[in-house]
Amino acid sequence: MTFQNPGALVWFLPLAGIVILLYLLKMKRRNLSVPATFLWPDHVEEIRANALFQKLRPTWLLFLQLLAILVVLLAIAKPQTKQQGLAGDVTVFVLDTSASMSAIDVKPSRFAEARRLVTDSIRSAKPSDRIAIIEAGPTPRVISPLSSDPARELSALETVQPTDADAPVGEALRLAAALVGGIEGARIVLLSDGDFDNVANFSRGKAAFVYRCIGEMDDNLSVSALGTTDTPTGRQLYCGIKNNSSKPNAGTLSLYADGKVIDSVKSPKIGPNAQWGRTVSAPIAARVFEAKLDAPDFLKSDNYAVCLTDPNASLHVLLVTKGNLFLERALALDPRVSLDKATEVPVTELAGSGTGQYDIVVFDGIPERAVKARGVLTFGSVGPSSPVIANGTVSNPRFVSAETKPLLANVDFGPVFIDHQVSITPKVSGEVLAQTSAGPLVVTSQDSGKRQIFVAFEPLQSDFPLQVGFPIFVANALDFLAGGVTSSTLVVKTGQPFSLPITTEARLTLPSGETVNLKPTGSNLVVRETRNVGVYILESEGKKRTIYATLKSDRASNIRPEKNLDLGGGQVKASLAPMRFADFWRPLAALCILILCGEWWLFARKS
Amino acid sequence: MNTMLLEPREFRLLDGLRINPRKSFGGKVRGERLTKKKGVSIEFADYREYAEGDDLRHLDWNVLARLDSPVMRTYRDEEDLAVHILLDGSASMSFGEPSKFESAQRFACAIGYVALNGGDGVIPRILGTREPNQPTLRGRANYPRLAGWTTQARDIESAKDGLSTSLRTFVASSVRTGVCFLLSDGLDPDLPMAIRILAGRGHEVMLLQILSDIEIDPDLEGDLRLVDSETGKVTEITANSFALKEYRRRLQEHNRSLVEALTRVGGRYALVSTDQSVDAVLKNVWKREGWVK
Repeated sequence: MTFQNPGALVWFLPLAGIVILLYLLKMKRRNLSVPATFLWPDHVEEIRANALFQKLRPTWLLFLQLLAILVVLLAIAKPQTKQQGLAGDVTVFVLDTSASMSAIDVKPSRFAEARRLVTDSIRSAKPSDRIAIIEAGPTPRVISPLSSDPARELSALETVQPTDADAPVGEALRLAAALVGGIEGARIVLLSDGDFDNVANFSRGKAAFVYRCIGEMDDNLSVSALGTTDTPTGRQLYCGIKNNSSKPNAGTLSLYADGKVIDSVKSPKIGPNAQWGRTVSAPIAARVFEAKLDAPDFLKSDNYAVCLTDPNASLHVLLVTKGNLFLERALALDPRVSLDKATEVPVTELAGSGTGQYDIVVFDGIPERAVKARGVLTFGSVGPSSPVIANGTVSNPRFVSAETKPLLANVDFGPVFIDHQVSITPKVSGEVLAQTSAGPLVVTSQDSGKRQIFVAFEPLQSDFPLQVGFPIFVANALDFLAGGVTSSTLVVKTGQPFSLPITTEARLTLPSGETVNLKPTGSNLVVRETRNVGVYILESEGKKRTIYATLKSDRASNIRPEKNLDLGGGQVKASLAPMRFADFWRPLAALCILILCGEWWLFARKS
Repeated sequence: MNTMLLEPREFRLLDGLRINPRKSFGGKVRGERLTKKKGVSIEFADYREYAEGDDLRHLDWNVLARLDSPVMRTYRDEEDLAVHILLDGSASMSFGEPSKFESAQRFACAIGYVALNGGDGVIPRILGTREPNQPTLRGRANYPRLAGWTTQARDIESAKDGLSTSLRTFVASSVRTGVCFLLSDGLDPDLPMAIRILAGRGHEVMLLQILSDIEIDPDLEGDLRLVDSETGKVTEITANSFALKEYRRRLQEHNRSLVEALTRVGGRYALVSTDQSVDAVLKNVWKREGWVK
């Protein structure tokens, strides 16, 4: 036990001296003549005094008063004891709900163990302790703000469910730091297996950081690849299995085409971090291929993968940019998009013989080049293959008009501020859809199966990315460049929100059978509910879409518990049971009150 | 104060009563109390043969006529009884309202009247103050003298001797044995021993303990310096429930020791309060317990 304010104990001697001095004062008693004194007990109680001085007589009252002074001074000295426990005076629990937390190497699961630890901490917290809970899921959120209400905290905790998705734990930690980073003595407690990307730009502020690592083993096989390729001998389906653990393992792989088994084989023992592949002939008419892996491992959500052969079901997009997060996010919102980034177009994708890897190439401020892709979206930089000719640069152009075309549906350029734009003249095939005071703003062209969109300004040279119309414009552009045909089946990554061009209320049936009603925002319907692996059915406008959510993440499949975290440039070690200082003054104050009550009772009894 | 101390009604109640000792005592002069000795009285005792010189007045002429044998009638002798009225005049008797001493005076007069009326010799004595011994009083005519002695002015608050000391002095004075009526508050820790000594000299002791209400159930409070009215001893107390409870316990214990001492020597004991009247004590104590008959 230690004292925060040990100086208070020094006051015991002077205060005790004063009390003893009071007891040295003599009682001036009233004389009373009585017939006989031998019947009276020779018993005095020193409870009052009004004269000087007498010999000190030890009494219980004196003892209790000295004891009360001692206990009060001990309480003022603020004694502290060290206790083990996750919670402190102010605590934010960051609960990792990523896919790897569903591993069952800890019974019943890592996530359940984490939730149990938080529950225990809430139940054992002192009444004055304030606790907040943050869910580190695909979209980090505060599920319970700082409060001293255990019932509400436990109720909020019950609503948290594990996901089969990658989770940006770093964002959740930054959120926690924003919540309690300014509070001295606060504590951020991360309950996770540590299987997430290194967190940069994280500062815990004045708060302490505690990492409780949950997880024991890393046995996990995952379906790492599934796809089709057309060869001269026919369509081939290839599937890859990866052993993410540190010891050899094997499993049984079953491949399905439109729900029918086309192959089932037991893999050989796959070494640590090694892959094993299987290629089989695929029915040419099949549209949906699934791979299911039955293996003695601890994470089941990555034992499933889907690929679609419908060309409109997926779009391979190459973003050529020096860096544009807004554009990346807007492109990723489309469930069909699998996005790659580059600072220049790979040589293999430049126009020439053969077919390219990408369906669409987006040039963001990079001069447009002729590519093999069937669609090109260019922002602000004219190239030889562009459908326009550059005439110079104009500053602060003012929006003039826009055509009523699907590409510009629900997009309003009126309030958009453009710092400068390229003054352009459309080529013969070009069609002007929007104009500013500096000339054409958006130009499209369709020529021999190739579609192009040219936007005469770079997004980062305007406030267009901050407008609601920006992701809508990008979604419209993808639809235009893909040929305007949408598929009724989609494959999405779990936990990744996506939007669909739906304007009416839709009903989503989850893999568990539950249904959720979704309302569109403008002309798009944003779906965030695909948090778990499985098949989702989206019904709207009389159409039924099948959405396959899969976890294709090497990061999530690696379930080895990380004892050390790389956090904000420093290493953080996992601790089993962090210590906390617990104030001890409250029991002492209660004891003091008891002593004073006893002293008063004794005084009243003797008076 | 009434110089006779008793009311006419009380005199009437006391008339016809006599002291009823458990023991028989030898008389000094002829009186009205029968003794075991043969003597002259109207109380027939026995027959005996005539002897020369016998008083012919006591010859039973009827027996002589029938049996022709002279037979003498004998009678029990009648002598007086020595009744010592020991009035406690120690300083502690000045407490109470009315004071214990005033009550004791009235009871002394009452018992003295009974004794005088019964032809006994009454020897009054004050304990605590040093006064010359009083002569033995006999006959109802001496009651005013007894009352006068009882009511004469005394400064008992300045009495020097304690109760037990005075009793020992009384015992040592070789007085005639008889009944000792002790009228006192009995607040002397050595009183049981003094009673045993008194009884050891052949006296029959009858203790009428007179206490005031405030002594039986004191109502003190606060921090007090108690001064013993007789010894001047000082005791500091905090008069709380604790102390009062202890006082009552000690008083009961002391009284029990008095009862034990008196029971052992064949004496009698009664506790009365200062506000009790003579007729109440006569009815509830003296008559009921056979002190008088």
